[in-house]
Amino acid sequence: MLKTLIEAFALISTWEVIIAMFAASVYGLVIGSLPGLSATMATALLVPVTFYLSPIAAIATIVAASSMAIFSGDIPGALLRIPGTPASAAYADEAYAMTRKGQAELALGAGVWFSAVGGIAGVLSLMILAPPLAEVALSFSTFEYFWLALLGLMCATLVARSSPVKAIAGMFLGLLVSCIGIENPGGVPRFTFGITDLFGGIEPIPALVGVFAVAQVMRAMLTPEPPPLPRRKFGSIMAGQWKLTKKYHWQMTRGNIVGIIIGVLPGAGADMAAWVSYAMSKRFSKEPEKFGTGHVEGLVEAGASNNASIASGWVPSLLFGIPGDTIAAIAIGVLYMKGLNPGPTLFTEKASSMYAIYLMFIIANILMIPLGIAMIRIAAYILLAPRSAIMPIIMLCCAVGSFAIGNNMFGVVTVAAFGVIGYVMEANGYPVAAMVLGIVMGTMVEQAFVTSLIKSDGSILPFFERPVAAILAAMAIGALLWPVMVWVWRKVKPVQAVAATSR
Amino acid sequence: MRLPDSVTGSFLVVLGAAAAYGGYILPPVPGQPVGPNVFPLVIGTGLALCGLAIVFGIGHSFEEEEELIPLEDGQAASPPPQGKLYGLRALLPPALLLFYVVAADRLGFIITAAIMVYVTSTALGAKWKLALPLAALSPFAIHLIFGKLLRVPLPAGLLPTPW
Repeated sequence: MLKTLIEAFALISTWEVIIAMFAASVYGLVIGSLPGLSATMATALLVPVTFYLSPIAAIATIVAASSMAIFSGDIPGALLRIPGTPASAAYADEAYAMTRKGQAELALGAGVWFSAVGGIAGVLSLMILAPPLAEVALSFSTFEYFWLALLGLMCATLVARSSPVKAIAGMFLGLLVSCIGIENPGGVPRFTFGITDLFGGIEPIPALVGVFAVAQVMRAMLTPEPPPLPRRKFGSIMAGQWKLTKKYHWQMTRGNIVGIIIGVLPGAGADMAAWVSYAMSKRFSKEPEKFGTGHVEGLVEAGASNNASIASGWVPSLLFGIPGDTIAAIAIGVLYMKGLNPGPTLFTEKASSMYAIYLMFIIANILMIPLGIAMIRIAAYILLAPRSAIMPIIMLCCAVGSFAIGNNMFGVVTVAAFGVIGYVMEANGYPVAAMVLGIVMGTMVEQAFVTSLIKSDGSILPFFERPVAAILAAMAIGALLWPVMVWVWRKVKPVQAVAATSR
Repeated sequence: MRLPDSVTGSFLVVLGAAAAYGGYILPPVPGQPVGPNVFPLVIGTGLALCGLAIVFGIGHSFEEEEELIPLEDGQAASPPPQGKLYGLRALLPPALLLFYVVAADRLGFIITAAIMVYVTSTALGAKWKLALPLAALSPFAIHLIFGKLLRVPLPAGLLPTPW
């Protein structure tokens, strides 16, 4: 254990890792603070750069950039009422109300401080949960993997803030995309239409860049520019945070726990964690009437929650290759490219790399405090950059980055195509995250499914015979039937449903 | 691009059916009951069923209207001009990416990138005072990072970079 820890330290204390981490932190802070550029997009645009880094440095950039971006989204949320990332949308109103009351320092300080605390709580969950789960997962056969993957896919559809039917449709679309190519059980060209470029299949990374970055530029074309930030002088940012921690320690812990749970659930990420925690904070608060008028309690809980979900999203990613959220989905792609294929054996064979990941998460969250304070102080200048100067650069990065993935122009075509697909889906209420999950998990789902079918020789019984498989099967089928039951319930008791939905 | 559910749903039905059929006609692996055809068949069927459900409006009640965060009272932005062609502006980014695919090898990275930056920037409302220097400088910056530091073979074309 100690030896591995020392090895892990050796892995991360190289100049490459340190510089990569610092640069990615600054990058994440800037991208996260710009309205319309989400943490997922920041991570997706980093991927081409990670090709040229060592495995640990590559992961360091993703860890640092995603953690920073989630916090940094709070800054324009508090100052402009425009959340920088969707994860800050839940409490942007509240934070802005505090700014108007003259408490901008307190609101932003709470953002930094409780984000860092939440992030560290998330890492602890990763450290505690992952190794014992890896033990269990070592005994999994393809049946268990099949049900687990199905459960993961179903979770993503359940938690989407949209129609579950559309979410399931989005998931199927993603799975269909993953069918393309010759990497299938028969090794025959499937859905390639004779196009040679499609033989290798659709790479997940250009598809992700397309749906998250290009689609965002497309939306920017049709939405008005956000107003510039009024310049202001800040007082002490960390003053009073310790008092808040003591006063709201229970809210903070609850936020951490909710964030961890939501992070572990496949497909549900920081934005969902923030919404749930904010609602929960209001529901259980002693003074719910203060919510919405500039009350810090909700900020504490939701800020602690969304950063906790970032690290815990890596638990299913590292163990099973099932992404806990869209950022983890990108991370999985990078893990595969760097030879750190997700799976339970990662924790025994590459234990030092795992410890290095934990350490990097902790360092990133500590680094967040000084860098975050600096960022808050210079935010007014960064937010002066007009959208018409940023979006063109994003476009260039999309084009060059997607080309760099395979040194192949087909990557650029993929990015353009998925930009359109993502834009149309989002505009029509189909959750993009569900499709992303389908694309990332498709090959694994099919492999587990077909291998299981071959092993069972056409019989359906072996899918339920092993105890763990039976439990996972019950959960997956339950998740599949859940929306149906809710739907029936609402039809039967429309009055209660109305009362339940109005919050 | 907000389309009625019946349109998107029908599209999914067609796509799902096509996928299922496409999977069905794939050659099986000799001597094995399951092969590359099973998965598309399952997915296609599922997709088509989802499409049908969407056409009939099942699950619509779950949808939450997207919450637009309004601007501060009194300084609401003027509504964007809503022409018939206004919606097509959204297609500009993917069109520019395709332009890059077609033109980059011939014109070279710097020139193609400069055109992309200029067009995007102008479309987002930048004056030439901003768009022109941006288009002149940012391709070099990107080339420095990706071409020089990360060794991505970007096409030189008509205008090779000084490094």
